[in-house]
Amino acid sequence: MKKYLAAFMALAMAATALTGCGGGSEPAADDAAEGYKVAFIARAQSDSFAAWLANEMIAAAEEYDDITLDVFDGQADDAKENAAIENAIANGYDAIIVQPNNGEAQRPYVEQIVANGIVAITTNSRIEDIEGASSVDADPYKQAQVNAELALEQVPENGRVVVINGPSGNFHADERRVAWQEVFFDARPDVTILAEDFANWNKDEAMALMEDWTVAYGDIDAVISTNDNMAAGALEVVKGNDMYADLLVYGVDGTAEACLLIEEGLMTATCLQSAIDLAALNLDTVHKLLTGEETQIDTDIAEVLITKENASEYVEMYRERGQI
Amino acid sequence: MKNKSLGQVMSKYSIFFVLLVLILISMMMNDNFLSTRNITNIATQLAVATILAYGEMVLIVSGLLDLSSGAVLALAGVLSVSLYKATGSMAIAFAVAIGVAVAFNMINAFFVANCNLPAFIVTLATQMAARGAALLYTSGQNIVQIGDYAVVGQGKIGGVIPIPVIFMIVATIIIAYIMNHTKLGRSFYAIGGNEEASIASGINVVRSKYLAFLINGILVGIAGVLFMARVNAGLPNGAVSYEMEGLTATIVGGTSFSGGVGTTLGTLVGSFIIGCLNNIMNLQGVDSYVQQIVKGIIIVAAVLYDIKFKNKKAPKVILQKKDEEKKDEAPAAKA
Repeated sequence: MKKYLAAFMALAMAATALTGCGGGSEPAADDAAEGYKVAFIARAQSDSFAAWLANEMIAAAEEYDDITLDVFDGQADDAKENAAIENAIANGYDAIIVQPNNGEAQRPYVEQIVANGIVAITTNSRIEDIEGASSVDADPYKQAQVNAELALEQVPENGRVVVINGPSGNFHADERRVAWQEVFFDARPDVTILAEDFANWNKDEAMALMEDWTVAYGDIDAVISTNDNMAAGALEVVKGNDMYADLLVYGVDGTAEACLLIEEGLMTATCLQSAIDLAALNLDTVHKLLTGEETQIDTDIAEVLITKENASEYVEMYRERGQI
Repeated sequence: MKNKSLGQVMSKYSIFFVLLVLILISMMMNDNFLSTRNITNIATQLAVATILAYGEMVLIVSGLLDLSSGAVLALAGVLSVSLYKATGSMAIAFAVAIGVAVAFNMINAFFVANCNLPAFIVTLATQMAARGAALLYTSGQNIVQIGDYAVVGQGKIGGVIPIPVIFMIVATIIIAYIMNHTKLGRSFYAIGGNEEASIASGINVVRSKYLAFLINGILVGIAGVLFMARVNAGLPNGAVSYEMEGLTATIVGGTSFSGGVGTTLGTLVGSFIIGCLNNIMNLQGVDSYVQQIVKGIIIVAAVLYDIKFKNKKAPKVILQKKDEEKKDEAPAAKA
């Protein structure tokens, strides 16, 4: 027993020593490279879009010789995200880019960044109205709007639809739902919402809902989902079922899986929230702010509607990046 | 004698009665509830959680616990999916998933059985490590286009019985056999009921704990394959807090958190109580927030009802029952 413990302690110490050495060499490298130190506080490395964005931010930063980017994980937790911001302020970064977990919870901390004379950017999603802070975003309302406008033409008269929502209280989930309401449901009083529920961005939860709904309601004309993962889950249930051959399915995000499903003709449309574009725009913005070219920037990436016409382009993009 | 047996029947089968009432009410509320398709849906939706629940049941009966099963399931699942994509072999896919899950459970067993750390803390740590490893391996992205891997999760035998349900039934039979008819099963009840007494009576407690985690590992690995196959993707973020679903089914099914008490069939029934409840509320279009409140209330009510109908000194009843079983088996066993 003691032997095991001793062996474990020895291993743990060795591991600590090794990681300690690795950590120790980093600041030295930073000191050597004359340039700007930028911190990116990611919302959660466990969220597939946020993880993709973090990877693209690192790739985009490599394009700039005078920028060193470090990524920190907010772990989808306000307290951890706020602590990461405080640490970045204390560590003397020249710019801090915050991808909020919950905008209002991070607001005072982003205000602290500004108060310390550090360049502050909020991204995906932006925190509105912080004096001195810039923002780069993809507008969740517009992402759903482009889908809803397409649905206005496609959903049949007296259509029967189901709605699958992201987590309640999530800014992107709520904004996307609001866009569907204002652009589609308010304009189409003939359409009936058979059922609506939360699947928390998850494919398996959306599958269980769709299985129950197909039993309860039979004929369904369209699935309106606030992300692609859940749309793909709904499609998984009716795959190969002739009764749902004409089912319309809308998502948001433009994931690799959704692009493939659209290319196959199973899914109807999605809006690409491109982490590549968002990362490039963030780096461009932070560079302009750091070099003093501009002092305040609020900008959005374009919303790209993906349908059967252009899906193969994006499938190709994912293939090139090794995601398919 | 008859009065006594009626009491015993009520005490033994109270949780079955709860399920029966729930099914009857659901039947009256919705004509589709008992349709073949709906029953198959419920069973398929429950298969993964029920298999995890059996692992939790074995561990909790032994006085242990696993908080890492959802995360280990995700890691085992994504590694299995990615090796299947590389090799095209379903046998390798299963072997990898089970191997990974068993390896994590052996780590759990080492710290719990050899180092005497609480299972709660150890498995909480492995939960974090396993989820981190799954995300690191996939860079946080879903693995798509998994081909025929999905057949295990979506296929049906004879066009009727979903494959995951077959796995669930086989797991039920094997776990029930282990728990009721083997020395190993009895050692689980003994170490969970009173560890010191078990040591005194010559049970190899460390070995039993390793074996409890081993059984859990095999179940988690299989659940990993079934989960990823059902969703037709490798989801590193999948099955978050599935250990809680497994734990809820186990506890609703009459397993005592203090160890030494619990049955396989009870766990199956517990799982179906929760599954039927979710299903009927979705069929009836109950508001999602209300669903959560109702589920909370009904879970407490089911457990309360179950405990009320059992003898207040539940562990003693179980011990007596085991003694009776032993007497029954005595003629067969060598003296």
